[in-house]
Amino acid sequence: MSRFVETLYDSYGQEFEFDEIYFERKTDHQQLTIFHNPVFGRVMVLDGVVQTTERDEFIYHEMLAHVPILAHGGVTSVLVVGGGDGAIIREITRHQAIRQITQVEIDATVIEMSRQHLPNHSAGAFDDPRLEIVIGDGLEFLQGQGERYDLIICDSTDPIGPGESLFDHAFYSAVHSRLARGGVFVAQNGVPFHQLDELQSTYRHLSGLFGDACFYSAAVPSYIGGIMAFAWASDDPGLRKLSEASLRERYRAAALACRYYNPAIHLASFSLPEYLLQALQEG
Amino acid sequence: MKGQLLSFPSSTEGRLAQIHGTPLLLLDCQRLRQQYRALAQALPGVDLHYALKALPEQAVVNTLAPLGAGFDIASSGELDLLRQAHVKPRRVIHSHPVKKSREISEALRFGCTSFVFDNRVELEKFQRYRHRIGLVLRIGFRSPSASVDLSRKFGCSLGEVPNLLRQAHDLGLRVKGLAFHVGSQCATPDAHVHAIRETLRLVRELKASGMARIGLLDIGGGFPVDYGGGVPDIAGFCAPIRAALAEAPAHLRLIAEPGRVLVAPAVRGLFSVVGCARREGRPWYYLDDGVYGSFSGRVFEGARYRLRSLRQGPLTASVLAGPTCDSIDVIAEGVMLPELQVGDLLVADMLGTYSAASATNFNSLPKTPLLPLDDAKENSVVL
Repeated sequence: MSRFVETLYDSYGQEFEFDEIYFERKTDHQQLTIFHNPVFGRVMVLDGVVQTTERDEFIYHEMLAHVPILAHGGVTSVLVVGGGDGAIIREITRHQAIRQITQVEIDATVIEMSRQHLPNHSAGAFDDPRLEIVIGDGLEFLQGQGERYDLIICDSTDPIGPGESLFDHAFYSAVHSRLARGGVFVAQNGVPFHQLDELQSTYRHLSGLFGDACFYSAAVPSYIGGIMAFAWASDDPGLRKLSEASLRERYRAAALACRYYNPAIHLASFSLPEYLLQALQEG
Repeated sequence: MKGQLLSFPSSTEGRLAQIHGTPLLLLDCQRLRQQYRALAQALPGVDLHYALKALPEQAVVNTLAPLGAGFDIASSGELDLLRQAHVKPRRVIHSHPVKKSREISEALRFGCTSFVFDNRVELEKFQRYRHRIGLVLRIGFRSPSASVDLSRKFGCSLGEVPNLLRQAHDLGLRVKGLAFHVGSQCATPDAHVHAIRETLRLVRELKASGMARIGLLDIGGGFPVDYGGGVPDIAGFCAPIRAALAEAPAHLRLIAEPGRVLVAPAVRGLFSVVGCARREGRPWYYLDDGVYGSFSGRVFEGARYRLRSLRQGPLTASVLAGPTCDSIDVIAEGVMLPELQVGDLLVADMLGTYSAASATNFNSLPKTPLLPLDDAKENSVVL
């Protein structure tokens, strides 16, 4: 019986007992570990930080996919930056109206090893004919020539390591230029109780570029320290002012059966606690 | 000199030289374990972090890690050795007070969250990582008795401490510990004892004034080994240090960063005579390794190496020189040796520290290989 100690913080942290290691190696970009924990199931770790677990990934992925898709209401093309475990693709492919999904992942090994050792994450979504996978740098891809997307999702690591360029002005600016009219951008933005700097920095960038920038949240147990923030940016402020009734209609039409997401949670998740609102004001 | 008939093939050294060729460094893993255990016993309650820079070799890490050793790193290059051995990142401290910002993120990505600093400019590099790390402030205490005084280049003065703590606080950084490193190969523990007393006093003062809550004291290294001049044994050297540490508050985690004391006695080198000459009435023997290689400590810390021949015979004051074309490549002068011939084997003891680690490839000579010997393991070379 061994233990993995997450080293996200110096003076505080979480540890996982593991009874099996499926993969542990340095890829071309990062140290990748996948092990099994009795409570969380299979756990993926990059550079010492927990990225996703079988037991609680539904919270993160349902919120990162369905909130923008249902708020927009007419998404046909999606760009995913990161998301190599495949679960975000799984949630997106559940929407039949979406015609085209492009995924840009920098680390091919993460996709390969997730297909092999985290099969429930992608649940076959990597074989969906609507999906095109590009192995490459997200920032470079966005800065290149190409089409615009109704929705851009950034499902990345924290901004230390390969995800670093996905948190600066050049990236957000490229995102803005590659969004279709009325499009929306969402991104994982860390646990703000501990990573307030990141929340403030993202907010500064996004509010300067988009007509509407904010965050919504969900508590994901394996991301320790409270609620996780998802960045939200669009030039259409109306997208997050829908009534619960119209969200309910879209949810029904999409025929989704979710375990975390529902229209009431959708609306409530945009309400932030006072300490975060103040931080954004001061930021 | 692989394959060539050596003068003393019946000895252990001769057999190894014949199998593996020379120059060759031999790591005695059992001796390494003994050194670690002796120091751990001499400093109960102190977590030992092996200073990887002394001999950054996988076999050393692999031998020490299972004993519960921690590690002190000075650069990102050392991280892969730790990864290979599955060293727990919480057991690792980055102890170089000055580094590139990239070094910080690379260490963090390994999982090391403890970093040493000693100046204001360095603090700014840490700001963007502030929610992930804990800092250790290095204070300089000069050590007159050390063979290498490490407090000239690094370490703030006691007087600078309050300002640096304030600046760290203003940048949102947590200073969790204090460190000192009085020097290398200290002749007496006096400097350690003095530095421990001063830092413990500081810990109490900082607590009383509310300036900082110090939870870690890193007493560095400097534990001496016997190169022939005679030094106290590990237990004797550490007794006054242990007594001084007895005054530490119970919550204070104590760590030390030994390098030399662990690895120096665990490595010996096998070298061959490749040339002989008589100059100014003295015999000169040219070896297949020199001060640009495994004897680099001659240059970097004035090390004096003791080399012995396995041959018997009347002794003459001789000169031992290295293989490069440079005239400073002289390993030792006035060494009492019997008359040697090309192909003769020489053995140098106490070669574990800052020998292979600081070797160059001057003259395009390859680095001397290090062969781990471990009686405790079946699948390794057994003498």
